[in-house]
Amino acid sequence: MTKESSIRTKAEISRRSFLAAGAGAVLSMPFVKRAEASEKVLYVNTWGGLWEEVARDVWFKPFTKETGIEIRTVSPVSFAKLAAQARTGTYEFDVTTLGVAELGRAYAAKIIEPVEGSALDRSSLWDGAVAMNGVKSHAFSNAIVYRKDHFPSGGPQNWRDFWDVQKFPGSRSLQRYAARTMAFALLADGVAPENLFPYDLDRGIAALDRLKPDLRVLWTQGPQSAQLVRDGEVEMIGMWTGQAGKLVEANVPVEIVWNQALLDQAFWVVAKGTPRAENAWRFIQSAVRPERLAEFCIRDKNGPLNPKAFDFIGAEQAKLMPTYPPNFKQAIVLDPEKIAPQLDELNQRFDRWIAS
Amino acid sequence: MRRKRWIHTSPLLLGLPAGIFLLAFFIVPLGYVTLLSFTEPSWGIGNYRDLFNSRLFLATLGNTFWTAILVTGLSLLLAYPLAYVAATSKGTISRTILLVVALSFWTSYLVRTYAWMVILGVQGPLPAFIAVFGYSPPPRLLFTNFAATLGMTHGLIPFMTMALFAVMKRIDPRLLDAAGSLGAKPWRVFWHIYLPLSAPGIINGITLVFITCLGFYVMPVLLGSPREQTIAGLIGDRMEQVLDFGGAAAMALILLAVSLGLFAVYSRYFGMDRLWGGRA
Repeated sequence: MTKESSIRTKAEISRRSFLAAGAGAVLSMPFVKRAEASEKVLYVNTWGGLWEEVARDVWFKPFTKETGIEIRTVSPVSFAKLAAQARTGTYEFDVTTLGVAELGRAYAAKIIEPVEGSALDRSSLWDGAVAMNGVKSHAFSNAIVYRKDHFPSGGPQNWRDFWDVQKFPGSRSLQRYAARTMAFALLADGVAPENLFPYDLDRGIAALDRLKPDLRVLWTQGPQSAQLVRDGEVEMIGMWTGQAGKLVEANVPVEIVWNQALLDQAFWVVAKGTPRAENAWRFIQSAVRPERLAEFCIRDKNGPLNPKAFDFIGAEQAKLMPTYPPNFKQAIVLDPEKIAPQLDELNQRFDRWIAS
Repeated sequence: MRRKRWIHTSPLLLGLPAGIFLLAFFIVPLGYVTLLSFTEPSWGIGNYRDLFNSRLFLATLGNTFWTAILVTGLSLLLAYPLAYVAATSKGTISRTILLVVALSFWTSYLVRTYAWMVILGVQGPLPAFIAVFGYSPPPRLLFTNFAATLGMTHGLIPFMTMALFAVMKRIDPRLLDAAGSLGAKPWRVFWHIYLPLSAPGIINGITLVFITCLGFYVMPVLLGSPREQTIAGLIGDRMEQVLDFGGAAAMALILLAVSLGLFAVYSRYFGMDRLWGGRA
């Protein structure tokens, strides 16, 4: 070995160790920053699109202004991700909204933070605001919507009509969502709303089998359902009335059938084990405040579940909301406690039905 | 001395960054998925036993293979003449074909899928075209097996064309002239000279397309009928709808095993490096 090369080796080592030290410092810097920032940031899982636009104005901006906590959004809503987060301890979002069926599953799978002992101040909330570790936010209707141009003399008026392909020919779409679609099938088969729960799965699947040839597509995302009716890809559909209301505003010839609409409820939940749980509960507390919830429901065409929110909603607007007390009493409501015990079997049978 | 050793070890060192990357972001997660399939929800081979007893899974697996065979056959039929023209013609025609194939190759699957949704949709140009011939109302094309097969075939034709072109370009045109001058009719020249010489390209293309097709997710889900699911869609549902990570992992591994099995057959008979354009 020559002298020169040995010198070079030494130089190399020192340069290498210098580089390693430098790299270490650079790499550790973002972690330091992130740890600091975790106090001042909250990741919220949203439905994207218009939903997020409204949520940003009504919930996120005022919250950041009050608390200095920045809100970053992650979409779309993914239940699988919520479950994976609790398993891996890596959090893409801290807060999300769940429907009744997911809430029941999340509660049973212990993937959401308990309300008990959290930073949530229950005394300032209304009676019945908390169920299965979720905080009630708003209710949304799942109703029949049909194309008026295809049924000029009136379309289906209830789920029995929706299933009647002789009287109302045309292609149909329903949501790929067992807990809601099963309710429609049973109502169509003549089950009275008060006897809906627990679901008679055999009867429901049999009813679904009958409709299958005319069920062209099962939608999964809200905007997708709106697209299907707007393009005339299907003549009737079971969809969220909030989405359908936007179609009416856009002068698409559709009719919303409020009869036998199924109400599902959205709950705020906190991802199990997230280091930002305290911020998360503070956010939820602020999001269900009557004036903010009222504005959200006006703009997103839903119904508030905080009764005090109606103090901030004009009488005319309130009458069109699914949770306006006289409407709420007539509505068929999905209840997390009632469907939770059936959920696993329900989902598995529904999945098998889709592919059969 | 030192310098020589450095040269000897350098090829391995050069592979190190990519090797570490693959290890960290492919092998390790794959190991985790394998572990999940045997441990979630409980230890053992329960997930696999359930899958092989599930009519739904077996039917979906069958459907996935059937679709892959169909799409592979169709892309071969359509891509072969295209690649032939590209490989044998001169200048502008050849360049234009290759450019179009490359453009289609670079366009994202999602964009192409949405394009098909517009074309096949009820208000799209294809139903309008069909209506011209007196079909009223025109058939509903979207959300059918036809739409999914069409989309996938369109998506994979560039792969097939590239694979065929690479081999066809190397076929010596004088061999064809020689056969012709010895009295062989054109179809005979094709059948006895050109087809056998282009066979490696056919095999490469079939392997690439078939295995890609097995894992397709976006196109069957967005264009296809909800009744005719593919394995990738079923895996997604298993996680998203039922939260059965163990079962989903087992499905993914079965699909991987089948794909690796096909690669192994290919490798045994044709050699792996040929797939990437090397001469085995």
